[in-house]
Amino acid sequence: MPYALRRTAQAGLVVIATFVVAFLLLQALPGDAIVARYASPELGLTDAQLDELRTVYGTDRPVWEQLWASATGFLTGDLGTSLQSGAAVETLLAAALPSTLTLAALGFLAAVALAVAIAAVATFGRAEWLRRAFRSLPPLFVSIPVFWLGIVLLQVLSFQLGLIPVINASPAQALVLPVLTIAVPIAAPLAQVLIRAIDDTVAEPFIAVARARGAGTRWLLGREVARNAALPTLTIAGVLFGELVAGAVVTETVFARTGVGRLTQEAVANRDIPVLQAVVVISAIGFVLINLAVDLAAPAIDPRLRRAVHA
Amino acid sequence: MIRTRSRAGAVVAVTTASAIALSACSASAASPDASDGGAATGGTLTYLEHQAYTSLYPPAAGFYPNGALVNNVTARLLHQDPATLELEPWVAAALPEVNEDATEYTFDLRTDVTYSDGTPVTAENVVANFDLFGLGDPSRALIVSEAINNYERGEVVDDDTVRFHFSAPAPGFAQAVSTINSGLLADATLERDSEGFGPGNAAEIIGAGPFAVESEQVGTSIRLAAREDYAWAPPSAAVQGRPHLDAVDIVIAPEDSVRIGSLVAGQADIARQVEPQHEAQVAAAGLEIVAAQTNGVNNGLSFRFGHPLLADIAVRRALIAGIDREELVSSIFSEGYPLATSSLSRTALGYAEQADAYAHDPALANRLLDEAGWQVGADGIRTRDGERLRLVVNEALPQPRSRDVITLIAQQLREIGVELELFQGDQAAQTAASADIDQIQIYHSMVGRADFDVIKSQFSIANRNTLQNDDESGAPIDAELEALLQRVASEPTTEGRAAASAAVQAHLTEQAYVLPFFEEPQVYGVRPGVDGFATESVGRPDFSDVSLEG
Repeated sequence: MPYALRRTAQAGLVVIATFVVAFLLLQALPGDAIVARYASPELGLTDAQLDELRTVYGTDRPVWEQLWASATGFLTGDLGTSLQSGAAVETLLAAALPSTLTLAALGFLAAVALAVAIAAVATFGRAEWLRRAFRSLPPLFVSIPVFWLGIVLLQVLSFQLGLIPVINASPAQALVLPVLTIAVPIAAPLAQVLIRAIDDTVAEPFIAVARARGAGTRWLLGREVARNAALPTLTIAGVLFGELVAGAVVTETVFARTGVGRLTQEAVANRDIPVLQAVVVISAIGFVLINLAVDLAAPAIDPRLRRAVHA
Repeated sequence: MIRTRSRAGAVVAVTTASAIALSACSASAASPDASDGGAATGGTLTYLEHQAYTSLYPPAAGFYPNGALVNNVTARLLHQDPATLELEPWVAAALPEVNEDATEYTFDLRTDVTYSDGTPVTAENVVANFDLFGLGDPSRALIVSEAINNYERGEVVDDDTVRFHFSAPAPGFAQAVSTINSGLLADATLERDSEGFGPGNAAEIIGAGPFAVESEQVGTSIRLAAREDYAWAPPSAAVQGRPHLDAVDIVIAPEDSVRIGSLVAGQADIARQVEPQHEAQVAAAGLEIVAAQTNGVNNGLSFRFGHPLLADIAVRRALIAGIDREELVSSIFSEGYPLATSSLSRTALGYAEQADAYAHDPALANRLLDEAGWQVGADGIRTRDGERLRLVVNEALPQPRSRDVITLIAQQLREIGVELELFQGDQAAQTAASADIDQIQIYHSMVGRADFDVIKSQFSIANRNTLQNDDESGAPIDAELEALLQRVASEPTTEGRAAASAAVQAHLTEQAYVLPFFEEPQVYGVRPGVDGFATESVGRPDFSDVSLEG
């Protein structure tokens, strides 16, 4: 089977497995969403009334039947209704996705820019102390909790200095701090891998040859080193998608942004199974697609891999 | 600066034509600036909310984020003064006529009230509202209102008169129609299903309140716009015409430090849910803390006496004597959280003080447990016949600092040899476990509602049943308690209901069934320059009289 086809089939299997496992795990939790939403003593409903609601929402049917209904629904684009608000899950996701995608895309771009800057200074900085300082940044960044970073940025930039409002901010203002918050933990591993890749590449004999033939540092950096360092960086970037999703949960909550992360946090708190199911599957699809793209792009970037995969 | 809504002593009784009445007492708690002299018109208020709303169906408005919207968007037949708890007409032209056994209520309606979509409030429409709230509609997943009991049907008597019929006495109905759970909705809104009341639909939920929803960004913010033509405020309202404000922006800020930080930084005008540990920061910045009382059953513990370990009154009395409530309130809360003096709040209807019922006395606790045969084991925890004195309590997630409360009293109870464990889990897990006495033996909760019925809501086996007073067959274990609770909800006279409520409280004390901690407020932080901020009788915000200075 050709490589691309095999990888695509694997990706599909991962999504299906995620769907089933997530469904079964969510079902296994104690208490259901009807309990979470309607059995709260505030509403004072009787057990009989709760059972009626279970019938309306179909949560009294056997698990396999619900799994089948949910699976066929997903295939036809019907993601079900939120048990917490009664809103269609598609509606909630449609409202949340653009905001999160903007945050994630800008966050990732900022992270790449930050990582490249750190790696460049760490490997080609003018002074030894500067290079050392920048080399210690990735471990520092990766150990900063996103939550803490967000709150500190808010306290200093918004509450103390009043540079950027959090409440009633314009769309652009509302993005600055969250993008910065989400970029830092993603920039850290990227920078780390990039520094390592540059170090390795610079040590390769062909660099010495290129230098001997009169190539300057800038030329080397742009042509040889960048191309060789791109592959490991691309691979780790695929993995970092998970970090983006997790970062969104925290960032969106701290900055009071709407989005998939907030949706997830609320769905978890309220045991909103249809919403969680949709979020898990969509995250899995995103994860799988990105990694698929990375795997398929790798041979295009590095000719050495082409032989390996066709072998 | 702490402003507490509480009342001193005077008792004011209000009686309707048939002696259905609600009594209350109050020190004037209206805001000092309610005089309304030169309040400026215009401006937009920014209000920070802790969570996004989940539904605008009025019977589901008990959840605070829902209630904040429903309270300002809908009008009710009657209005309850949050300070005196007296009822007065609102959409109704007068207080209702009630028959002798409180099974028929007749309301004369105002004829000039319109919904924000322009349709008038008619007798047919009012009956349609209560038929839905009183009976629910399971096929649309719309629930029955907890506040309305024994509802049978509504009747259109003439163009501006409606009558409601009940299968059994319903003395709480007059107060029930004043609550946010009875917010009147336009005909088009009444046709919606549960999903239609959910997020994304706020602008189409049509009421007759002083504000209407102008726009909504799901999960982020909602804008309320003042109704220019609002002219049917309750007689006691300071503002009789349109609200001072042009608009209110309700912005969701779930993270505590962000909500408080942006309030203190002047990015918002009012924030709900200022936790006790943040009050100092808010007050230090010159902001006002408004602790609105919720007028119901106090925050506290219910001991489930149906469990073998708690069946012995000596053990329950020992638990009460082993817990130091003063330490709890002073170390975890603030002066906005007054120490409870009964199972009901001092400002609740039917309150009867239970003097010296909850004194901290570890020596007494130890003696009671010794005498009951509980011996202190090697690890400091008592055992009897090989059984450990180990009890599990739920975490009351909606209540302030429940986890801290339980952690502290677990330390205190350890001193007398009782092991108290906190049940871990999210809301769904807590709710599921709380229904099972084998998992949760002590239940931590509170409930706010400004009617005598509130005590029944908390303890009756047909309602929240916090004591789990029913055996496997569903029969009450303590039949006397259940009978007393039913009396609270069926005595047709105010005096009768007050006496029944007092009897319930005395019974709870005698039997050592409950340990109330404090009178739980809703705490708001309010920026200087915001005038006239008030809350309804259970602490939901009311923006109708709010104005902004400069």
